[in-house]
Amino acid sequence: MPEVRLEGVTKRYGKVTAVDHLDLTVHDGEILTLLGPSGCGKTTTLRCIAGFVVPDEGHIFLGDEEVTHLPPEQRDIGFVFQNYALWPHMTVFQNLAFGLQLRRTPKEEIRKRVREVLSLVRLSGMEDRYPRQLSGGQQQRVALARALVLRPRVLLLDEPLSNLDAKLREEMRFEIRELQRQLGITAIYVTHDQAEALVLSDRIAVLNEGRLIQLGTPEEIYQRPTDRFVAGFIGLSSFIEAQVAEVEDETAVLETEDGIRLRVPRDALTEGQAVTLAVRPEHVEILEGPPVDLENVFQVEVVRAAYLGDSIDCRLRLGKWELRTQLPPHKVLSSGERLWVRLPPEKMIVIPS
Amino acid sequence: MATKWRRALLEGLLLCFVLFVIFGPISSLVIWSIAIRWYWPHVFPQEIGLAYWKQALGLQRDWAIAAVSIWDAFGTSILVALVATAVVMAMAIPAGYALARFRVPLKALILLLFLMPKAFPQQPIFVNLLPTFTKWGLAGTVQGVILVHILVCLIFGVWITTSAFKAIPQELEEAARSVGATRWRTFWKVLFPLAAPGLLVSTVFVFVTSLTEFTGTFFIGLPFVTTLPMLLYSSSGYNMQFASVIAIVLLIPSLLFMTFVQRVFRPEYMGGIAG
Repeated sequence: MPEVRLEGVTKRYGKVTAVDHLDLTVHDGEILTLLGPSGCGKTTTLRCIAGFVVPDEGHIFLGDEEVTHLPPEQRDIGFVFQNYALWPHMTVFQNLAFGLQLRRTPKEEIRKRVREVLSLVRLSGMEDRYPRQLSGGQQQRVALARALVLRPRVLLLDEPLSNLDAKLREEMRFEIRELQRQLGITAIYVTHDQAEALVLSDRIAVLNEGRLIQLGTPEEIYQRPTDRFVAGFIGLSSFIEAQVAEVEDETAVLETEDGIRLRVPRDALTEGQAVTLAVRPEHVEILEGPPVDLENVFQVEVVRAAYLGDSIDCRLRLGKWELRTQLPPHKVLSSGERLWVRLPPEKMIVIPS
Repeated sequence: MATKWRRALLEGLLLCFVLFVIFGPISSLVIWSIAIRWYWPHVFPQEIGLAYWKQALGLQRDWAIAAVSIWDAFGTSILVALVATAVVMAMAIPAGYALARFRVPLKALILLLFLMPKAFPQQPIFVNLLPTFTKWGLAGTVQGVILVHILVCLIFGVWITTSAFKAIPQELEEAARSVGATRWRTFWKVLFPLAAPGLLVSTVFVFVTSLTEFTGTFFIGLPFVTTLPMLLYSSSGYNMQFASVIAIVLLIPSLLFMTFVQRVFRPEYMGGIAG
């Protein structure tokens, strides 16, 4: 399987720049997710790779071959659409066989490969059904099978699960991941759902306004976001604006304009630098009773507590800042209540402003 | 069992009602076509017979009966309608596809242009057209009449095919391209079968419009080209019997054509849309 390489790909629609000088390399055999809010250019990028859209600038390579201006039918890619896009006038078999027939594959071979791929997506025996006779999940599996049966060089998936209900969506995430591993196919997956991206990606490319904001493994993206947008988009974060007051060997101390001092990992901070502190909900530790001289310990006030069944979503006031956290559901809290919390220094995410 | 019978009865009644609604108006045509003498205030004709039918079909020649053989006019009508339909659809299918799929500059204007021949009173348009057609030697010829029919029918062809193609999601085409189909293949294997119901409607509409066209044929075709509607108009009013015969004859090709076209567009294509 070849790698996919994008060099300075740009696509404009009138005055709107959908994709802005995007450089990206997708490694052989990995599944990379393009993640971002709607309108961030992720789908346009995918359609450029598929050949449905020709970029205004830049180059796209599949392996060593430049495909920027090649029509989609000559690119040898598999594409899975959000709305499945199965041909309603063809049976499942005809849907899967169409591409093989175009390649003049012998009839026996076609039948064999369709049978194989159907068993791969757990739809054996469905050959003669029409798409309208299948459920949404089954239709999406047929769509996946239609792309896989041709053994394409690259598999492109455009929000393939967003038309399915929540439960099925979760199941299918693992299924797609499993299939991609099993076949070792290079895959690019577009989604706006961060949970989906975290579950099934080898690497995630976070896009915003047509630009690549951060590229990394799910762990890197979640634990070390380098941009405020990434910290806010993937997982929940509470933000505190501060300045670096002191820099020591291992750690640094931040100070907010309302006088809150926080110890954080030093990283590459310099004194006087303006930074944004991102606090994940799971990094807010609630202390039982008054503290015994601990660093980064603050008294906070409960602003609002919402019962979510498996947890309590809680907003806490720290000075002029708000912290969000999740508490176990047995905790009884009322707004106005005062609590002691600790923000462990080693877990704090500091993003240069 | 009881519910089954009641259901059958209900369906039977519904069928009778539908048949009455469809064939009720036509039945009076049938009665008129076999009425030899029928004076007010009688509910049914006093004398019936097939004299007008025989005369119209050229089986007898009786100067006492005001009807001529319709075979020539019938042949002309069918020829004109078939050729006009073929030409119109050959233009409308690619035009409809292009208008539905590509960013055609001045698209609205082009669509409006097709409407023009139908947007104004027909008579001034054809009166105005006559000198031009005469100059080109098309007035009074079958070719000229075909050309007029094409002008009149193009709007139905282009507008209905455009919306038929528009109704098909773009992704179905892109999916075909992604599995290796060229634009041409994609059109014939995916787009055309899915647009078939719309194309069928459009084709039948064009055919029937051409078959019953009068105004343009009157101005451009006279006095040498006579179609069935021309015979019908010239005999209606004073000769209800002959007019009824022609009216019934006019129905036949439409029904046959519809059956034929339905065969061409296979039923699974039609079924595909329901999903």
